[in-house]
Amino acid sequence: MSQTIERPSAPSDERLAARSPLRKLLGRPEIGALVGAVVLFVFFSLVADAFLRASSFSTVLYSSASMGIMAVSVSLLMIGGEFDLSAGVMVTTSALIASMFSYQLTLNVWAGVAISLVVTLALGFLNGLLYVKTGLPSFIVTLGTFFMLAGLNLGFTKLITHNVATPSIEDMDGFEQARSVFAANWTIGGVQVNISVLWWIVFVAIATWLLLRTRSGNWIFAVGGSASSARAVGVPVTRTKIALFMGVSFTAWFYGMHILFNFKSVQSGEGIGNEFFYIICAVVGGCLLTGGYGSAIGAAIGAFIWGMTSNGIVYAEWNPDWFKFFLGAMLLAATVVNLVVRRRAEAGQ
Amino acid sequence: MTARHEAGRPSLVELTGVGKRYGNVIALRDITLQVNAGEITCVLGDNGAGKSTLIKIIAGLHRHDEGVFRVDGREVAFGSPREALEHGIATVYQDLAVVPLMPVWRNFFLGSEKRKGSGPLKRLDIGFMRGTAKEELLGMGIDLRDVDQPIGTLSGGERQCVAIARAVYFGAKILILDEPTAALGVKQAGVVLRYVVQARERGLGVVFISHNPHHAYPVGDRFLILKRGRSIGYHTKDEITLDELTAQMAGGAELDQLAHELESAGVKGAPELREEARDLGASD
Amino acid sequence: MKRRVIATALAGLLALSACSGSGGKKAEEQQTKALTGGGPRIKIAMVTHSAQGDAFWDIVQKGAQAASAKDNVQFLYAADPDGGKQAQLVQSYIDQHVDGIIVTLAKPDALKDVVTKAVQAKIPVVTINSGADVSAKFGAIAHFGQDENIAGQAAGEQLNKVGVKKAVCLIHEQGNVGLDARCAGAKKTFSGQMQNLYVQGSNMPQVKSAVTAKLQADKGIDGLLALNAQIALTASDAVKDSGGKAKVATFDMNKDLISAIKDGRIQFAVDQQPYLQGYEAVDEMWLYKRNGDVLGGGQPVLTGPAIVDRTNADAVAPYADRGTR
Repeated sequence: MSQTIERPSAPSDERLAARSPLRKLLGRPEIGALVGAVVLFVFFSLVADAFLRASSFSTVLYSSASMGIMAVSVSLLMIGGEFDLSAGVMVTTSALIASMFSYQLTLNVWAGVAISLVVTLALGFLNGLLYVKTGLPSFIVTLGTFFMLAGLNLGFTKLITHNVATPSIEDMDGFEQARSVFAANWTIGGVQVNISVLWWIVFVAIATWLLLRTRSGNWIFAVGGSASSARAVGVPVTRTKIALFMGVSFTAWFYGMHILFNFKSVQSGEGIGNEFFYIICAVVGGCLLTGGYGSAIGAAIGAFIWGMTSNGIVYAEWNPDWFKFFLGAMLLAATVVNLVVRRRAEAGQ
Repeated sequence: MTARHEAGRPSLVELTGVGKRYGNVIALRDITLQVNAGEITCVLGDNGAGKSTLIKIIAGLHRHDEGVFRVDGREVAFGSPREALEHGIATVYQDLAVVPLMPVWRNFFLGSEKRKGSGPLKRLDIGFMRGTAKEELLGMGIDLRDVDQPIGTLSGGERQCVAIARAVYFGAKILILDEPTAALGVKQAGVVLRYVVQARERGLGVVFISHNPHHAYPVGDRFLILKRGRSIGYHTKDEITLDELTAQMAGGAELDQLAHELESAGVKGAPELREEARDLGASD
Repeated sequence: MKRRVIATALAGLLALSACSGSGGKKAEEQQTKALTGGGPRIKIAMVTHSAQGDAFWDIVQKGAQAASAKDNVQFLYAADPDGGKQAQLVQSYIDQHVDGIIVTLAKPDALKDVVTKAVQAKIPVVTINSGADVSAKFGAIAHFGQDENIAGQAAGEQLNKVGVKKAVCLIHEQGNVGLDARCAGAKKTFSGQMQNLYVQGSNMPQVKSAVTAKLQADKGIDGLLALNAQIALTASDAVKDSGGKAKVATFDMNKDLISAIKDGRIQFAVDQQPYLQGYEAVDEMWLYKRNGDVLGGGQPVLTGPAIVDRTNADAVAPYADRGTR
């Protein structure tokens, strides 16, 4: 694919043209997911009458956004070479903190929102710190925090509210205001669109810019691709990894606030198992499980695939017993595509 | 005591009686070495001889326990690779410290990214970095078709050269090359050796780590031979021939010993072995 | 600069900490007074097939705890949705020589051996919730509760009454025996057409979009049967947002659900009175130990179903507020 070419004076444009645009496109991490998304879209359009309606599309987008917001930060973390298995329950933790803090102390809900942000970011920091200090795989460290948070969610909720769900905070001061930020529904051309879809797009845009256009992005790729190499050239590996864990906790907070203000009360058992779906979105979107490669846009496409599949099966009125089979098959297919891409990149000499 | 270069300037790097232990394991003992501008100092030795410990001390990954480490005549003890870098010491590791899946230009500038803009909009100056990487590589005689390709797609020799070009560009005064030719074929090794010489001609001081005297001798100016953490020879080029260097490296004395043993056991061919040892200049 | 930012943020936070004028803990008035019973202290263990943090089983526990406080019982609780693991939990209580074991028989085959073992070890066993038909056969002294299937049948009949023709049963945990049984029961008595829809109960936005998608896909749907209160509230949100007219009904209760029933967003709730299942079971154990009494005379004691709709919501409201209905 590339050689040291003997004539340094040769016009470079000529040879640049040799690398076809198609080839370049095929090198993008999200290409496998994009192809999959198009195929699925066409497929469901054909088999499900209701799928192509604008209102249905809005439902699919909302469903995608509810996975996608977390998938953004989870994909960044995966590019940085780590997992966070506590991401799913952390969303619930964050929502529970905001809800219970406001309710129990009878405060304006914004106070709960702020406290929740602080605590959730601290949890992300703790995940990162534990990982860095112990040197254990993040898989193990966050598996530990996953169970701990799941236990704390239930334990504290029952201790404080004597129930397994928090009471509704719908009638409290600041609720409507907070709802308009985190969970408002807008009607655009007769179709209801939830604000979380917009936030999702904003987060994807920021993450993409961060990854491709900033120094931090460079460092994220580097710490995931080869932490020892990155350290040797002076990249602050520890700081970068902790920041990535905190990124996950930030979106966990945001998404937790969406859940709280959209559904008014929170069940302490929610969120368990979602961490795997976030990882699936990222992997389907082209992130390598081993780190160093991937994109936020890919994760967004992964979330969109998720939204299309989970709702498309409903639109097509199929037996939903098979849903998990489709999900698994897609994950496998996406991983194989990525494997091929990586082999080509690594052994392309 | 400080060794002076001909011009009277202090050596770029000078170790005097440096030692290092890990717990109660003595990894390195009483090492003395100079690296001057425009010179290549070769460090030779087998696996486990203490070469990597020595590089780690100079590169700032480990702190030495004994002796004196001077850079430009001033005594130092580095706490991190970054400190070493600030003193102009750049290390090209065996694994090259490159991230295989990242584009060549990103690897080139990794850890020292050039940015533009300010505040939250501070971003990478991609045009500049891409262009510079291409130019610098061209300056070293490496003409890449596309600096956007993952560095993992380059050949071993090319990757080595990118790593050297990177160190040179970022103002390294002293270049530490950790076994740059170890994993390469004959032809690729030749290419890399040419860049090593090129770096010397640019006035850099080079520390060239190798276990292959045939690669080290042609380019080196000084040779330090290590064995089990000790120096068993420190020579300038005019003091030693390639054969003598090879003999010291291969442990000619041990070869002689082996010949003795085989002889007393009545094994055929032992005299030839003894002859060989004598040729290598290691025997009595 | 940085300091000023922090100061502003703190000031903002302080301003927000101003008390909320409405809702909150202060608005909530709750007092549960425990009665205290007599007799020597005994140890009773309950092992259910509940998943962690399940609202229904939380209320069962509350009932059991209330009875335990009254009867001077040390109450132990453990649960695992996996039949094999549930059996192991029962075994560990047998090993501890507790004075009585209360167990659910959602998966009778998995629990048969261990229940028999308990009986042989002279530990009285009371079964609750599920397994009415095998309870006596396994050697349990009494059974409280009713089959999820029977509760489902009640829901199906009630759906007929409110005029639903085409309904969807929302299963929020794929493969959960109890939930499947509720839908199956409802299907049996419901005179219209009923299908199942799996929703991911651990993820409310997914529940909402799946329900919305279903309503969009089939405009003929005029009824939704949820299997817990939170799912029901979310489903009614989905109905409202998609501008549909589907009627929502559910199993189980909570405070928010009662107010939704009051303002007609939700038609009715099938209450299996879980509090009663826990309370009765412990109380029976105590009676048996103290006086050799057996409630129900060898027949299962039904604890429901009770239907809560607009007509009786007000009466139930205070108990749901307290989290015991």
